[in-house]
Amino acid sequence: MNKNPLIPKPHKIIGINRETDLESTFRIEMDTAPVMGQFYMVSIPRIGEMPISISGIGQGWIDMTIRNVGKVSQAVHFLDMESTLFLRGPYGNGFCLEEFKGQHLVIAAGGSGIAPVRPIVEYYYNNQHEIDKLDLLFGFKTPDAIMFGKDIKRWKERFKTILTVDDACGIWDGECVGLITGYVKDIKLSEYDRMDVIIIGPPVMIKFTAAEFIKRGVSEERIIVSMERRMSCGLGKCGHCKIGEHYICLDGPVFRYNDAFKMID
Amino acid sequence: MTLDVNTKAVVKNAYRITKHRGKTALRIRIPGGYLKAKHFDLLKEIAEVYGDGIVHLTTRQGFEISGIDYSSIPKVNSLINPLLQDLEIDIGVIIKDTSNGYPSAGTRNIAACIGNRVCPFANYNTTALAQRIEKEIYPNDYHVKVALTGCPNDCIKSRMNDFGIVGMVEPQYDYQRCIGCEACVKNCKSNVTGALSLHKGKVKRDARRCIGCGECILKCPTAAWTRNPVKFYDILIMGRTGKKNPRIAEEFIQWADEDVVIKVIKNTYRFIDEHIDKTLPKEHIGYIVDRTGYQVFRDKALEDIKLNPEARIAKNIQWGGFRYSSDVFMSDKLQ
Amino acid sequence: MGWKFTNTAFNDLFAGLTEDYIILAPKRFVNRGRFSDTDLIRYDEVKKSDDIIWKEKSTFSPKEAVFPVTQTLFYFTEEAFREPQPEEKQYLVFLRPCDINGIRRPDTINLKNGPEPDSYYANLRKRVRFVMIECTESFDNCFCVSMKSNITSDYDMAVRLTDDKVLLEIKNDDFLRYIRSDIPKIEFRPEFVLENKIKVNVPEVDEMPAGVYEHEMWNEYKSRCIACGRCNTTCVTCTCHTTNDIFYDDNSLAGERRRTWASCHVDGFTDMAGGISFRKDNGSRMRFKVLHKIYDYRKRFGEHMCVGCGRCDDNCPEYISYSGCINTLNKVIRETVS
Ligand code: HEM
Ligand code: SF4
Ligand code: SF4
Ligand code: SF4
Ligand code: SF4
Ligand code: SF4
Ligand code: FES
Repeated sequence: MNKNPLIPKPHKIIGINRETDLESTFRIEMDTAPVMGQFYMVSIPRIGEMPISISGIGQGWIDMTIRNVGKVSQAVHFLDMESTLFLRGPYGNGFCLEEFKGQHLVIAAGGSGIAPVRPIVEYYYNNQHEIDKLDLLFGFKTPDAIMFGKDIKRWKERFKTILTVDDACGIWDGECVGLITGYVKDIKLSEYDRMDVIIIGPPVMIKFTAAEFIKRGVSEERIIVSMERRMSCGLGKCGHCKIGEHYICLDGPVFRYNDAFKMID
Repeated sequence: MTLDVNTKAVVKNAYRITKHRGKTALRIRIPGGYLKAKHFDLLKEIAEVYGDGIVHLTTRQGFEISGIDYSSIPKVNSLINPLLQDLEIDIGVIIKDTSNGYPSAGTRNIAACIGNRVCPFANYNTTALAQRIEKEIYPNDYHVKVALTGCPNDCIKSRMNDFGIVGMVEPQYDYQRCIGCEACVKNCKSNVTGALSLHKGKVKRDARRCIGCGECILKCPTAAWTRNPVKFYDILIMGRTGKKNPRIAEEFIQWADEDVVIKVIKNTYRFIDEHIDKTLPKEHIGYIVDRTGYQVFRDKALEDIKLNPEARIAKNIQWGGFRYSSDVFMSDKLQ
Repeated sequence: MGWKFTNTAFNDLFAGLTEDYIILAPKRFVNRGRFSDTDLIRYDEVKKSDDIIWKEKSTFSPKEAVFPVTQTLFYFTEEAFREPQPEEKQYLVFLRPCDINGIRRPDTINLKNGPEPDSYYANLRKRVRFVMIECTESFDNCFCVSMKSNITSDYDMAVRLTDDKVLLEIKNDDFLRYIRSDIPKIEFRPEFVLENKIKVNVPEVDEMPAGVYEHEMWNEYKSRCIACGRCNTTCVTCTCHTTNDIFYDDNSLAGERRRTWASCHVDGFTDMAGGISFRKDNGSRMRFKVLHKIYDYRKRFGEHMCVGCGRCDDNCPEYISYSGCINTLNKVIRETVS
């Protein structure tokens, strides 16, 4: 018998933190450390599997922030502390932090796209010397949808942080309102090869935010995006995540934009 | 010389007493509506030489050639011999004297949609069954209309007939082959009766709702649905047009096999023998059943028949239909 | 080395082979075709050599032999998992050159794409042997020559089936022991089809011009294609599948995880939780499929995916010609480039 990569392993939930009405972060026991930007196939046997990216990495645990929008994620939200989740992975390439050494890094995240970049920000929060500068640009639909509010407040102390909501809903006391694309101009750019821009969020957000940066002169090779697609196997077999010659689960989800914009669905 | 015509004999011979004194019209039977194109030469010749040059298409898939002199009947009868040979004798119908035209006209031409020779929906070869039924029931003077249709689309409008024979197929499911694409489920729901539902990625069929149309088989991209090679039929009975209570036929036996179809139709002729009102010129089967009631008809129609196990018989039939009544009008005055 | 069998002697050979192998070949299912009074021809177990249908093309491909439509990955009860009992059966599959080349694609995806091979596929595949059915004259819609998949040497045995005799070549000596000593030896090397009626000009570009993706040539398929998926389910090279969990009706704590074939033409293929999906119109699905078959796959693995078996064209209910589409695409590319 060959080794079977499709068999998931049980992992205990050791923390649950409600982020918004829809999203909660689950802290899960994990003795091996994944690469930031990678994802796991998370399942509850009898309900099904779903791909979830890592929103935090620590000693003996990982965080996963799960949005309650599907069959499986809904079932996960019914789980309590100490219950078991089944995981296989980690899959995908993830971010290469080596490349950002000494660079000016900009992270633009829309909505739940903030989850996979949270470990990166957290890393630089603790290792600020590894980077020249980090600018953060976060956009949410409404004030209610803001995730990691406390983290963002903390990050603000060390990094330039722009937090905007599309719609203030009359309850927003932050400085910025409007689409994230409108705030790209407020980021001070560095020279061509001194900076990298990470853009994560819904497909439309990625497209228009990247366009703004490109308009301002950032070249496509300096933009890094993470692409979400339907996943079923995570192993390059099922075909659901394929775009062009790439399998997002193998070659991605992280791509340089000069490759990504050629990948047409 | 004054004409001296035995109208009863003429009518039995498939000629009509027309409004034009001295002129008759001949109806050509075409069982199943299946006619080799070569016969058009003959039809043309009869119409142009002995008739008024016109061929009318009848509603039961026959031809009516009008404007024929009564005196031409013997000549025309000898001319149509090749039609009788090809369309009747060669399919097994027994006609003792083929030089005298049609031996009877009571039992009407058996109409059929084009069936599975051409139509993708059809669940059987309507031509072949029409010919088999023709062989069993023609010639006969009783007034019975039979129409065959390949599937419940009922393109031939068999529900307007005394017998409508609708093709049914039992879809058989291979659980392993189904990919849960729902093509069959969505189609059955939107176009048929909603007999299918998706259950845990696979399909369930509610046999009580399924009308055996076979569309699920047509839609399935993996041949998870295939045909039960045994053919089944829905036997609809006692539909009619006409002046007295026109109505559509109702289901008598569902999932009948071909032998049951044939035997039920033949038994119906015995039922007519027993119950027809001989004081009337020619009582239609539907009105006889109206008098005796469904149960009496059913018992006779099923006499000595061993039903196939799948067959289901109607407990009771309530034909609705239309009744002429002056009550529906706003005023009694004719305007 | 070759042997010449009478049909009876070949049937005897079958009897010997079936002791050790399950023989899969194109088989006729009488009156089970899509339309009434038509037959279905697909791969299934055959016990007698007469049951092999070799004068007609099978509707479905032999990929079913290595890649079941539905496959249980494991059963679970509460927290325990159990894989299905490992199967030991050996399979002998009768198939044509295009299909032998075709199965190299599922092999590539399942064994070579990604860091780990698929163990279910690997375990079944290693128990499958090929008997090549010689093709000397191609069927309607075949274009294996254009796809360079008309020739193969990747088989254990090869047969020429005719009405009154069978010629057999053995390449894998393991099979010699099934040959009776009274069977006459002859020289036999199978021939291959060298020309098809259908010819396809496959574009051989290194980079697909960007304009091709947006080109209006795809628009007609928006309304023509009904997203039925037959072109994928009948194709020997399509390997997409979806994994689902189910629990049993009478014990909701026990169930299984299983996978079934999927099709990039069928609704839902790209649906993500939360409502985002891609390629909503059928024209872009056609583009996605066609480019996968004759561009994307080659970029990744160095050979085209499509082997030109023509089953997609045989089976499209809307008479969409995939081979015709490639020829159109080739023209469009040449116009775009020049
Ligand atoms: C899929 C099934 C059907 C097909 C393919 C079909 C086809 C046709 C065709 C080709 C005609 C023209 C016939 C001619 O000119 O000689 C026609 C006429 C007609 N059909 Fe259908 N039909 C179908 C079902 C039905 C049904 C179910 C009904 C009603 C219950 C119906 C009612 C009529 C009527 C009233 C006419 C007009 C007759 C006339 O104007 O002379 N059809 N049909
Ligand atoms: S045969 Fe017709 S009614 Fe029955 S399940 Fe199939 S589509 Fe529905
Ligand atoms: S059409 Fe066929 S494959 Fe699709 S759900 Fe129905 S039975 Fe399954
Ligand atoms: S794409 Fe069509 S021709 Fe090519 S291998 Fe698949 S079914 Fe055959
Ligand atoms: S993406 Fe489409 S064409 Fe490619 S293997 Fe999957 S089903 Fe076939
Ligand atoms: S077989 Fe034809 S209609 Fe069906 S999905 Fe393929 S191209 Fe579209
Ligand atoms: S998720 Fe299955 S191939 Fe990528």
